[in-house]
Amino acid sequence: MTLLWKHRDFVIFAILLAVAIAFPFFGIPRFILAAVLIMYCYATVVSQWNMVFGLAGIFSLAQVAIFAFGAYSTALLGRYLEWSLWYAFPVAGVGGILLSVLIGLACLRLRGIYVALLTLAVSQMLYVLIQTDSVCSPLNQVKDPRNCIAFTGGSQGLGDFGSFGWRAVLGGRNWMTGDYYSMLGLLVVGLIVTYLITQSRMGLAFRALRDNEELARSRGISQYKYQLLVFALSAFLTSIAGGFYAAHFGAVGINLFGFPLLLFLISMLVVGGIGRFWGPLLGAALLMSADEVFKEFSDLRNIGLGVVVLLFMILLPEGLAGGIEKVFRLLQRLTGRSRTA
Amino acid sequence: MDFFVQIIVSGLTFSAMYALAAVGLVLVWGAFNMLNMAHGIIMTLGAYFALLWAEFFGLPLIFAAPFAMLCGGLVGAMVYFVSAHWMIKQRNFETTIIIATFGLGMAMEAGLLKLLTELFHSSPYAQPLSMGAKSFIVATVPVSYQRLIIWGAALFLILILAAFLKRTTFGRAIRAVAQDSDAARLMGVRVRNVYIAVLALASALAGVSGIMLSSVKDVHPLMGGALMLKAFIVIVLAGLGNLTGALYAALLIGMVEATVKVLIADQYGFTAILILVILALIWKPAGIFGRSTVARQ
Repeated sequence: MTLLWKHRDFVIFAILLAVAIAFPFFGIPRFILAAVLIMYCYATVVSQWNMVFGLAGIFSLAQVAIFAFGAYSTALLGRYLEWSLWYAFPVAGVGGILLSVLIGLACLRLRGIYVALLTLAVSQMLYVLIQTDSVCSPLNQVKDPRNCIAFTGGSQGLGDFGSFGWRAVLGGRNWMTGDYYSMLGLLVVGLIVTYLITQSRMGLAFRALRDNEELARSRGISQYKYQLLVFALSAFLTSIAGGFYAAHFGAVGINLFGFPLLLFLISMLVVGGIGRFWGPLLGAALLMSADEVFKEFSDLRNIGLGVVVLLFMILLPEGLAGGIEKVFRLLQRLTGRSRTA
Repeated sequence: MDFFVQIIVSGLTFSAMYALAAVGLVLVWGAFNMLNMAHGIIMTLGAYFALLWAEFFGLPLIFAAPFAMLCGGLVGAMVYFVSAHWMIKQRNFETTIIIATFGLGMAMEAGLLKLLTELFHSSPYAQPLSMGAKSFIVATVPVSYQRLIIWGAALFLILILAAFLKRTTFGRAIRAVAQDSDAARLMGVRVRNVYIAVLALASALAGVSGIMLSSVKDVHPLMGGALMLKAFIVIVLAGLGNLTGALYAALLIGMVEATVKVLIADQYGFTAILILVILALIWKPAGIFGRSTVARQ
C-alpha cells in the first residue's frame, strides 16, 4: 500500500491511460468522442503552458499564439505544398521553436510582467496580420479563380489541406477513432515530457532558483538559459498540438488567435492548478465537461469563464490540484503520519 | 508635404489616446504593481457612457465626457473591490492580478455584448460627441475640428493631472505611495484610499481615451482591446512606472504608427510599433526611459 502511495502519480497515470485507451470501445456517441479528443488537445497545450509558467516561471501569454501558429503552419504546408500532414507536424513544431526563441530572446531577460505584455502583443500582432490579409494569392487563383482568397485565408480562415488520413485506413465510420488515438498519443507524450523535464537537471535548476535565487545564481545557474530552453521545448509540442487540431477539424480560423480561446485555456490552467502536474488535465477535463453541459447557454460562456478565473485567483490561486494537495496534507497531519522527509 | 501633414495629424491623434490610456496604467502600476487587464473594456465603457448620456438621455453634450469620466472612475473603484482588494497580500500579486483582471475584463466585455444584443441591435453607433467631417485645410490636407478637440482635451487633462500630482496633498500622497508604500503608510497616508483613487483616476482617463477613439471611428463593444494593447506597448517602451517617459513614448509610438499607416499600409501599423519596441527592449531592457535596476531581474 505504501509502495502504491509512493508511486501514486504512476498509478493514476496507468489507470487513466487504460481508461482512455478502452474508451472508444464502450460504444460512446461520436460527439462525446469528438469532445474528449479536443480535451486531450487542449490538455496538451495547457500542460506545456504549465511547464512554462508553473515550473520555469515564465508568464507567457503567447502559448495560444504558438498553438495557432502550429495550426496555420500545418494548414499552409498541407494546402500549398500538398504535404502529408504527418510530415507537416514536425516542421510546424520546429517552426514553433523558432518563433518561441525569437520571442524569448526579446523578452526573457526582462521581468515577468514585461514578458506577459510582450507575448500578448505578439499574439495580437499575428491576429491582426492574418485578419487583414485580404490580397488574393496567386496560389489560390489557380484552385478557385472566382472566389480567390489570401495566402493565409485572412478573416475567412483556411481549409482544404488534408487530414490525419485515418479515413483511408479505417474507413468513413471509424476515422474519428483514429483521430482520438492520435490526440491521446500526443497528450501522453506531452505528459511524459513534462514529467521528465520536471525531474531533470532543468527542473532542479528551477527549484534551486525559486528556493534561493542568489545562491543558485552564484553557483552558476543561468535562469535565462534554462527559461529559453523550456520555452522552446514547450513550443515544439504546443505547435504540434495546433497541427493536430487543424488536422482534426480540416480547417483553421482567425479565432485561434483570439482572446476567447486564451480565456478558455487560461481558465483550465487556473482551475486545475498552476504548477501542479495533474492540474492541466483536471482543468481541461472539468472545463470541457462544463462547456458541453452548458452548451445551450453558450452566449454566457465568456462571462462564466471570466468570473470563474477571477474567483479562483482570489479564493484558490493554487487551483483544485493545489487544494486537493492541501486537504491531503491536512489529513496526514490529523492521522499523525507526517511525510515531510 | 501632404504626407508630412497627414502623418502629424493622425500621429498626434493616436498619441493623445495612447497617452491618456497609458498614464493611467503607469499610475496604477506605480502605486501597487497592479496591471489592470480590464483597462480596455473600461475604455469601451467610457465611449458607451458618453453615448448613453447624449443619445439616450438626450442631455447636453458638454457634460457627456465628465459623466463618462465619473462612471469610468466608479467602474475603476469597482475593479479594485472585486479583484485587487482580496489579492493584494498574495505572494505573486503581480502575476495573479493580471490573470484575475483578464478574467474580469473578459466577463465585462461579454456582459456588455450580451446586454447590447438583448437591448439594442448591437450594430456600431456613431459617437454623438464627434463633430463629423467638419474640417479646415492645411496644405491640401483636411484636418477635422474633432482632432483639434482631441489634442486639446488630452493636453488639458494631462496638465490637470500633472498639477494634481505636483500641487495637491493627495497627489503628493500618490507619489509617496509610488516611491515607498511602507514609508508612506508610516507617515499616515491611507494607502488603501490611494490604491482606489489611482484606479478610479486611471479608469476615468481611460474612459476619455475611449471616447476619443470612438469619435474618429465608431462605438463598438470590442473597440477597447486593441487600444489597451497599444497602451501596454507604450508603457513597456517607456519602462514601467515612468510617467513622463510614458508621455514621450506615446508621442513616439503614435507618430511611428501614423508614419507606417500613411506611407505603407494600414494593417502594418501595429506590427511596426511592436517590432520597434522589441528592438528597443533588446537594446535597453529597462525601457528607453527606465533605470536598469528597476526592471532587470
